[in-house]
Amino acid sequence: MSSLTHVRRRNSSAWLIPNDGTRTNHQLRRDMRRFDDTDEVDLVVVGCGAGGSVLMQRLARAGWRVVGFDAGPFWDPDDDWVSDEAGSHDLYWTDPRVTAGENPVVLGSNNSGRGVGGSMVHFAGYAPRLHPSDFSTYSNDGVGADWPISYRELAPYYQLIEEELPVAGEDWPWGEPHSYPHQAHPISGNGMVFQRGALELGIPVRVGPVAITNGRFGNRPHCIYRGFCLQGCKVNAKASPLITHVPDALAHGAEIRAKAMVSAVVVDDDSGRVTGVRYFQGGVERFQRAAMVAVCGYAIETPRLLLNSATKRWPQGLANDHDQVGRYVMVQGAPQAAGRFDDEIRMYKAPPPEVTTEAFYETDPTKPYQRGFSIQTVSPLPITWAEHVAAQGHWGPVLREYMRDYVHWATLGALCELLPLAENRVTLDEEADRYGLPVARFTYSYCDNDNQLIDAARQRQREILEAAGATEVIVIDRTAHLVGGARMSATPEAGVVDRDLRSWSIPNLYLVDGSVLPTQGSANPALTIMALAARAADRLITGQRGGITAQ
Amino acid sequence: MGRGILRRPAESGANTPGGLPSRFPGFDVLAEVDHWDAATVGTVLSRLTQPPALRFFSPDEEAVGRALFDQILDQRAEPKIPILDMVDARLAEGQTDGWHYADLPEDGEAFKRSFAALDEDAVDAYGVRFASLPWYDQTDLVQTVQDRDGDWHGLAAGDIWDLWSRYACTAFYSHPWAWNEIGFGGPAYPRGYKNLGINALEPWEAADQSDQDPVGRGEEIEQARRRHAEARTRELRSKDPTGPDGVGDRLSSDK
Repeated sequence: MSSLTHVRRRNSSAWLIPNDGTRTNHQLRRDMRRFDDTDEVDLVVVGCGAGGSVLMQRLARAGWRVVGFDAGPFWDPDDDWVSDEAGSHDLYWTDPRVTAGENPVVLGSNNSGRGVGGSMVHFAGYAPRLHPSDFSTYSNDGVGADWPISYRELAPYYQLIEEELPVAGEDWPWGEPHSYPHQAHPISGNGMVFQRGALELGIPVRVGPVAITNGRFGNRPHCIYRGFCLQGCKVNAKASPLITHVPDALAHGAEIRAKAMVSAVVVDDDSGRVTGVRYFQGGVERFQRAAMVAVCGYAIETPRLLLNSATKRWPQGLANDHDQVGRYVMVQGAPQAAGRFDDEIRMYKAPPPEVTTEAFYETDPTKPYQRGFSIQTVSPLPITWAEHVAAQGHWGPVLREYMRDYVHWATLGALCELLPLAENRVTLDEEADRYGLPVARFTYSYCDNDNQLIDAARQRQREILEAAGATEVIVIDRTAHLVGGARMSATPEAGVVDRDLRSWSIPNLYLVDGSVLPTQGSANPALTIMALAARAADRLITGQRGGITAQ
Repeated sequence: MGRGILRRPAESGANTPGGLPSRFPGFDVLAEVDHWDAATVGTVLSRLTQPPALRFFSPDEEAVGRALFDQILDQRAEPKIPILDMVDARLAEGQTDGWHYADLPEDGEAFKRSFAALDEDAVDAYGVRFASLPWYDQTDLVQTVQDRDGDWHGLAAGDIWDLWSRYACTAFYSHPWAWNEIGFGGPAYPRGYKNLGINALEPWEAADQSDQDPVGRGEEIEQARRRHAEARTRELRSKDPTGPDGVGDRLSSDK
């Protein structure tokens, strides 16, 4: 295992949390710097998740005066999180939203976070990189879009973030081959079933990559394999910005303003520049001045905020000069297959993320569809497992019978690269939230390529489970993750932000989150979002000698 | 910790829904409470206390909802997990999932309207309210909703089914009695797990005893279905000498 002590010199978060068995540095939060609304801070960050927190930490270190807003709480894992599915309801974005289209996407616990740390608080922990091919799918395969940056430009930031989380896994043979700072974790019955089936079929698999400590890291302890990764890690073993970047940001003078809902990014139409944000805190609407605003609210709330911030000069929403805001939102097709074994698998033991194959990630010229999918272990807890059983049409006594058999099942999940489509988009609904702000209406429909990929992934998972000896296989169709909605582009007409994540039309407005991804690959997006934020921060810091508000 | 008080129903000595014998004899997840963290203990044990008085559903809606949720989770005998009460609390407190399908109103309204629709179907088909129907007539009516494609009383039938089963299963499988029934180890912090792997148990976990039963999984399920069908026939015969077909005709002629 490589020594990670050098990480401390650029990000001391893991050393700033307690080592006495408690999980939160309350002193650091009590002593946090606080700005006045009338202070023109250097940067306001809207949304303290994967993108916003990394940006905040980097710029605070560089001496910027930063305030991070989050609509949700500033979590304390000891008091706020529980080892319980239903009790974790508050981790999710549960403000009203409307989901529409031919394939309406389930939101809430499926893909939307709330509170400092964002969706990474409840993500499983998978932290794969994109492949080099993901950055030019249009040129290579005639589908999707080309990114305005290359894999090569992002790769150094992947490595930095992998060290800061840190990521554990076997040496990775897919995409650009690379290794991980922490060794692969031991695996449970669920992972062993996947390995056995894959070996039988000659499909290569690897353990990892998961952003879960395997060994002590700073004051963060080793994982205890309790299995509740999706309910918030009470151990501080699984990475989320709450413990990987926020502590260092606070130590460098950033302020986090939690339970503060930003209602609009405010623009001065005459100068064409952002002047700050309006926000609700404690029921009072306030205005924070800022020299620069970075919206980091993820694929639904970022477009919604831009659309809700319309002015006379931008009547269709900020930075929406070319009708690009809210378009090309993507989810991954995520069919999951479960197999029944005479042995006891007890998939609830150990983290759900264990073993992966990316053998089907790239376009296979022998197949009728473009791009591909990955397969990973997932381990539904009882309530989620009931969704699998109910999805088969079972209810009443048959549902109960299947559920009684829980300990005998192993589950795999696929991530299919659904393509970016202009009509898969976020618009404003006539319904309003408790602040009176129009809520997001999210419309989603699959294209033919999407359906073919999902079918192929479904079939491949079934084969693996059968090869492992499953006596029965059940499959459930679902989706995972959310990216796009304000994509980066090489030209102003084709997107919302440029390669440095600066909006094309407003020079001091940045978008630093998953909404900027032009394509999504078959990789879980957290690591890529963080790497993009780290790169954007570097570009800002490099440019600051010219003055942070220079155009 | 007060476990003695909270491990109801003490009167039956049972710790599973309906007091049914478990495939994991001797396993009681609540025996492990002392190994859980305080926040989790508070959350889980609160489900064993008396649920608060209903605030969201009207008495008419309550009657439909109790019967419907017991159907979906096959709760035929006490002690029951109070599904309706748990759903009522969620809706009263606005603890919904937030999002809703474009062709459904928000969750609370969708429940109210769908419960009224189920009652209407019961009156149309049998002349009595849903809650007053015998168990297997309720089963038949619920099945007609699941089988329906498209519109049902102005609601998308598939989305309503999804809503019902999602809320009912979330309530039921959040309850420690249900965990005992399925052999789930429950909360695992700060202890964690030490014995990972196939057929690997912690000292406090109990092995599934039904492995000794050679009956295959599919056949077991089919047996459950047959028991269901036979019981249904018996019940219909006792109530209606013309047999189940007569009832079926009434139902289908209504479609």
